[in-house]
Amino acid sequence: MIAPHRLSVKFFFEDLSIDAESFIPVFHRWIRENVVPNELLLDVADYKHVLDGPAIFLIGHEADYVVDFTDAKPGLMYVRKRDAGTDLADALDTTMSQALHGVKLTEDDVELKGKLKLRTDAAAIVLLDRLNYPNAANGDGADAAAAVQAQLSDNLAAIFGEDATVTRVANDAREPLTFKLSAPSAPDVDTILSQLGSAV
Amino acid sequence: MSNIGWKDVLADEMPDDLAHEIDIFEGQMELMGQGKLDEKVFAETRLRRGVYGQRYDNGQRHDGFESRELEFEELDRIKGPDTLWHAPGMMRIKVPGGGLTSEQMDVLAQVADEYSDGILHVTTRQDFQLHFVHIEDTPDLMRRLASVGITTREACGNSVRNVTCCHLAGVCQTEAFDATPYADAFAQFLLGHDDIQDFGRKFKPAFSGCEAEACGLVMMHDIGYLAQIKEVDGKPKRGFKVFVGGGLGTVPHQAKVLSEFTPEEEMLPEIQAVSRVFARLGEKRNRNRARIKFLVAKLGIEEFRRLVEEERKTLPHDDRWTAYLDTLPHYEEKPTRPPTFLNGQVQNSEFNQWLETNVYGQRQEGYSVVTVNLPLGDLTSQQTWELSDIARKYVGDNVRTTVEQNIVLRWVSDSDLPSVYEELRAIGLGDPGAGTIVDITACPGTDTCKLGIASSRGLAGELRTRLTAKSASLPDAIKDLKIKISGCFNSCGQHHVSDIGFFGNSRRSGNFKMPHFQVILGGKWRDNAGSYGLAVGAVPSKTVPEVVDTITSRYVEERTKGETFQEWIGRIGKKEARSIIQPFMKLPAFEQQPEFFSDWGDPRVFSLGDIGIGECAGEVVSLFSMEISPAESEAFEAQIALDEDDPARADALAYSSMLKAARALVRTQFLDVGDSPDRIVEEFKSRFFDTELFFDQYAKGKFGQYLLIRHRNPNPNPDNDSAHRLIEEALLFIEATHACESRVGGNVLVEI
Ligand code: HEM
Ligand code: SF4
Repeated sequence: MIAPHRLSVKFFFEDLSIDAESFIPVFHRWIRENVVPNELLLDVADYKHVLDGPAIFLIGHEADYVVDFTDAKPGLMYVRKRDAGTDLADALDTTMSQALHGVKLTEDDVELKGKLKLRTDAAAIVLLDRLNYPNAANGDGADAAAAVQAQLSDNLAAIFGEDATVTRVANDAREPLTFKLSAPSAPDVDTILSQLGSAV
Repeated sequence: MSNIGWKDVLADEMPDDLAHEIDIFEGQMELMGQGKLDEKVFAETRLRRGVYGQRYDNGQRHDGFESRELEFEELDRIKGPDTLWHAPGMMRIKVPGGGLTSEQMDVLAQVADEYSDGILHVTTRQDFQLHFVHIEDTPDLMRRLASVGITTREACGNSVRNVTCCHLAGVCQTEAFDATPYADAFAQFLLGHDDIQDFGRKFKPAFSGCEAEACGLVMMHDIGYLAQIKEVDGKPKRGFKVFVGGGLGTVPHQAKVLSEFTPEEEMLPEIQAVSRVFARLGEKRNRNRARIKFLVAKLGIEEFRRLVEEERKTLPHDDRWTAYLDTLPHYEEKPTRPPTFLNGQVQNSEFNQWLETNVYGQRQEGYSVVTVNLPLGDLTSQQTWELSDIARKYVGDNVRTTVEQNIVLRWVSDSDLPSVYEELRAIGLGDPGAGTIVDITACPGTDTCKLGIASSRGLAGELRTRLTAKSASLPDAIKDLKIKISGCFNSCGQHHVSDIGFFGNSRRSGNFKMPHFQVILGGKWRDNAGSYGLAVGAVPSKTVPEVVDTITSRYVEERTKGETFQEWIGRIGKKEARSIIQPFMKLPAFEQQPEFFSDWGDPRVFSLGDIGIGECAGEVVSLFSMEISPAESEAFEAQIALDEDDPARADALAYSSMLKAARALVRTQFLDVGDSPDRIVEEFKSRFFDTELFFDQYAKGKFGQYLLIRHRNPNPNPDNDSAHRLIEEALLFIEATHACESRVGGNVLVEI
């Protein structure tokens, strides 16, 4: 399966004792200190005035990091925009591992440490590509979505534990194709990252 | 891997002309990638497609400590002078009169989340903007918009920009008549028109239904139309009072009256004549004096008017001038629901507050216009399709954007208002206060604009939060004041026409620069942006909330009964107004108040290092270079068609590319050649071939013959070989056209 135009993964905050604005100086510092060596970080965009949406963006060339409040579920979303690989499996690998690095960076950040925690037992995965992955309820589009679901399940169970499940979210057809990861026995970020490291 | 793209999927849904233009643009991108197009020509080409630069696209960014290079891949690849190919840019999407259908909203929301950051921004001229867009995504983005009838053509660059029109047109209590269909006809007539391709600068039109209200802002536009009905031979006749040469910018100009009454059938020929005069006589080299306001000032309005009238007499007739008038009697908007009344049902106080500020009773009984108050003009993709559902349910396609960066739902049946309110609230779009002091307008400023000095959006967000928190206790006199903010003197945020306006600048304190805002007081929004405010002094950005409090409190204390803010400022005068803000003008040292040295929402130590070269003026390139470039792109497309084993299409494109090149050449002498192939070839032959101007020293007339022969003898069944030959010929012909233009160009007289 072809890599989607964009692929995003959102992990949810367990505790978040700070407001969205506090991420602005952190993201500026990340750019300055070039904390993601394999990505080019560009700028910070502030949309905290929109309700229940993406609030603060760390805009990058390959990917954006977003403090996102969509559906009243605060989380850190990683949106991979390019160079994720040629097929879906590659794209998922790149996106997932970079997203988890993002989680770790956030939790360990000098200014944020202790003020937030992200959960690894759930995530939202979105294929932003209505050309190749339409969010169709039936027909070819639905078959493709089922195939994606199978692939995500396979790939993610290896990382998030055997009881991890991926289900398709029944959202509006205009929205992008979205999946929910549920992983009751997911290990913590460090463990997942070290597994990913050894898998690569 | 799938090879099917949006181009194929949407082939039947895009209007042919839009589809073809986008293909040409894609071809030009490809040529630019191969280094075969001049950087300025490409920059102006992309601007005329709405593809704008964005802050940091020169590859430099100040991180608060030092200016750093952004290490994009392919640093030598550019999309214009000093503009890196891979740096994200802005896409401006034209929305004539702000009119949107629910289907268009759905697609806008989708392209925003796939190609931008999932945020749609409404501009001060009823457009949409998407930010952080990669140039390589723009053709597909445009195709998806084209499939729902939206074009980005001429959204930027030296062209006729979006036509704005009152968002209340057609339902307004005070209008002479509905200006909407005229604004639409104007937009369609001028889109891509030959006579607007050689402007030295951008040209902004506006339509308004009445004189006293503000919605159309005709006084501050390059050309403005005020609807008027005049008695002619005992019958009411529709027409417009026409204004020309208004504009904001560093030195704002009030427009001059071009015509007291232009009857409807003369509107389009008149603008065509104006366009020709502007293209011919407007300044081309000095961009700072190239807007039409400078031409009008230089010639004087009488002389300008005389030239336009002379020009009008020479225009070849065009059926389109009046064709649209026949459709006017059938023009109407259809409400989705029958008219109903609120009937004094008891509602909660939040609803009542919203009703007071966000709902306008239409001229048509039982219907209202609801303003969706967008914070800083922004809404998310998700909110956009949720809003389109609300629109579908209650008003159908009767949706418009406004110049105050909001969206209106028209034709809401009155008894639906409570449910519309609840549904808007549920998606975070139920804020009251539309059009009041909390509904602040701001240009993009330092967030994304290359010219931004201070953070207009950061300041607007801060003021909005603070003023909203105390809105319940704000005295009535100040509730309806307007605050508008620009990030620099260019005034894209329209600060000149607000009660309290600000534009960004900077002052030095010690070794540091401090973001500032110049305070402009007493501009007039009503009367179609009737007068401009007074600049009274610059204050540090971080003091602005207090400055607003101080000014508004003084106004409340000192105003006489019924005195407006403008009248009060007029009465106290500039000196006294300045003394009000004087206490804020002292600059603390860095050590005393370091927070003063960074801007709202941006903790980096303030610097001017990120200011780049703006693209507001477009590039000054010759008409010929702009018109030959699509020919090259078509020849390139022809090669692709051949590679795809489609000789018939390759042949047609190669021929069409020669025609385009010949036309570009003919138009250096004769602007009115039109589009007919016969005419183009005939003019080419008589002006360039028979005169031997086109002849090459060695090849003589050979290259010119390629076009003449293909035109005379089209090949009914082109095969790969013949198409291949024709492409080669087309490339040689285009080369010869360039050579000819550089030999004779510049010396020829332009005849009209
Ligand atoms: C010297 C350069 C520029 C000048 C003189 C200029 C001037 C203006 C003025 C006077 C307006 C206000 C409204 C009007 O006339 O109707 C406007 C609108 C606007 N400008 Fe600029 N501008 C410049 C460059 C830019 C740049 C670089 C950006 C950021 C990318 C920008 C963004 C906007 C926006 C968003 C609007 C509102 C909307 C629209 O046309 O849809 N401007 N500009
Ligand atoms: S006013 Fe200045 S900062 Fe604002 S958009 Fe215009 S050019 Fe940019």
